Amino acid sequence: MPRVTEKFSYWMLVLPALAIMVIFYIVPVLGIWKIAFTEPVTGFGNFEKMAASSAVQTSFIITFRVAAVTTVGCLLLGYIVAYAISNYASRLTPLMVALVILPFWVSVLIRSFSWIVLLGRSGIVNDALRDAGLIEAPLKLMHNEFGVVIAMIHVMLPFAVLPMLTNMRGISGAYVQAARSLGASEWYAFRNVYFPQTMPGVMSGALLVFVLSLGFYVTPALLGGGRVLMISEYITYQIQEFLNWGLGSALSVALLVATALVLLVAARFVNLRATLLDRK
Amino acid sequence: MTETTDFEAKRDIAEIAVERYKQGRLTRRGFIAAMGALGILPALGSRATAQAKEIIVVNWGGTAKDVLQEVLCDTYTAETGIPVTVDGSGPSAGKIRAMVDSGAVVWDLCDSGAGSAIILEQQGVTQPIDYSIVDKSKVLEGTAYNNGVGNYVYSYVLATNPKMLGGNVPQTWEDVWNVKDFPGMRTFRKSVRGMLESATQARGVPLAEVYDALGTEDGIKASIAKFRELRENIIVWGSGSDSQNLFLQEEVAIGNIWSTRAHLLKDQMPEGSFDVSFQGGVIAPGIWVVPKDNPAGSDEVMKFIAHGQKPELQVEWLKKIGSGPINPEAAAMVPPELAPFNPSSPENLATQILYKDEWYAKNQVSAEELYVDALIN
Repeated sequence: MPRVTEKFSYWMLVLPALAIMVIFYIVPVLGIWKIAFTEPVTGFGNFEKMAASSAVQTSFIITFRVAAVTTVGCLLLGYIVAYAISNYASRLTPLMVALVILPFWVSVLIRSFSWIVLLGRSGIVNDALRDAGLIEAPLKLMHNEFGVVIAMIHVMLPFAVLPMLTNMRGISGAYVQAARSLGASEWYAFRNVYFPQTMPGVMSGALLVFVLSLGFYVTPALLGGGRVLMISEYITYQIQEFLNWGLGSALSVALLVATALVLLVAARFVNLRATLLDRK
Repeated sequence: MTETTDFEAKRDIAEIAVERYKQGRLTRRGFIAAMGALGILPALGSRATAQAKEIIVVNWGGTAKDVLQEVLCDTYTAETGIPVTVDGSGPSAGKIRAMVDSGAVVWDLCDSGAGSAIILEQQGVTQPIDYSIVDKSKVLEGTAYNNGVGNYVYSYVLATNPKMLGGNVPQTWEDVWNVKDFPGMRTFRKSVRGMLESATQARGVPLAEVYDALGTEDGIKASIAKFRELRENIIVWGSGSDSQNLFLQEEVAIGNIWSTRAHLLKDQMPEGSFDVSFQGGVIAPGIWVVPKDNPAGSDEVMKFIAHGQKPELQVEWLKKIGSGPINPEAAAMVPPELAPFNPSSPENLATQILYKDEWYAKNQVSAEELYVDALIN
């Protein structure tokens, strides 16, 4: 039965990666679920405590709000970049793609620290504005949600650009040309012919950025001044400061479930399979 | 087992010593001594074979380990010929207990805190301090327990940048909460430890009654509410170095930080742009505890503790890493330029209260939850 053998050989190829996922990811995650339900006592105690805590609720709201704003910012900026790269800069394309990917080579920690240098009270931005006579007192650019969002958009931007770029480069220029030759204005052709074709890229970029932002830790911790407490930082706080593994784990479970819910809701409006698998 | 001792503060002192060492302000020997003084030196691998006539002192690692070694341990060895080694592996109450329970005790003396010392005593894991050898009068009042005795102190203090404030410097915690007359950002710790006391004073509670006022749930909530009121002006520090950076980068002009970090900042900040007030501060002692059945025997360790009470050694400690002498006699020997930064000088002692471990053991977890909520919600 050659078909079975073929199938079997594909499974063998997947096996190493699958084994690593199961051993180093799935099993520990299940361990976290177990802790969430069993420490300090078995039951839903941790989740009840979590639901009753207004600090946890606020932290969830902050997390989703920051992730949403970051996503919108990344999409706006990323769309322009992806559009420019795929439609105009033909000879410079490799260089521009390289520039998009370049930030991946620098650690998130370093990039976040760089923002501290830029946005600080006596940072480069404030000093420049003051020396130019535009402001009298330094602006509060960081240690608040604004600073966190700026830095997160910077960190997440490549994740928005790359899927959109792949998508746009697969779109034939013939459609827009046809629309133009039939008398459509440039804007009309973009709006009604080009833009709809880029939606799969926009959606996968949005999902990628949003889901990654939900679990973000370093940037909010450094630039938030302690008051933009996202869930991941709150989890660290519970586990390191109070040794409260039960509640910390329960929060992780809640974050995981919330992320899954986001994907489910997204699936009602977007064809996830087409968005994430068939990049066209 | 609840761990109420503020070990982060201890680790931070260790970090400070590292920093000083790197800046070349501590000689290598000084560095080792500072580590020793805090009880942090080598976690020697072959503990089990430690000779009877060797004392193993355990603290929280980092630089403080070397300062402890140089200041207390090496001087003791020079005097008595008995080798003393510092192990920096962090003698948490849980570890001490596990060691004693297992019957394989390798530590002789541990740098713990008041809360842990009390718990360990209740569990019968530590030995009584022999006050015929260790001098009770050579430690701050309130830091001589049955099974534990003070070794050094650090404080939560009001640090300010007079230059940024234009000379208009807050003198009390009530001033710190007065945003109208003292504008600008403040920094507080990402934990209620040493912070809630400030907020309570800002409510108008006299220093001596702070922990009474925090005795009820309403009292705690009222103090937490003060943070809610001030939060638009708060940047939170997580580690000691965070608090130092916030001042260095002029992100804040006012803050409640560790006196040991203030000790560093006074040298790093330009003249006239850093000041510290111990007014309404909270002073916290480190506590020596001796595990039961320690290998070097009770007498040897007691003699070593007594050695560490010498005021001149304690002053060295202050010079090197900013932790204050536990021995009141030492204050007179502190160089005048350092005196304002000494948490245990008579002037500074008079304006502070002693950190109350018992309160934290009972209330910390619920208070932390309220604190986070007040800051973000």
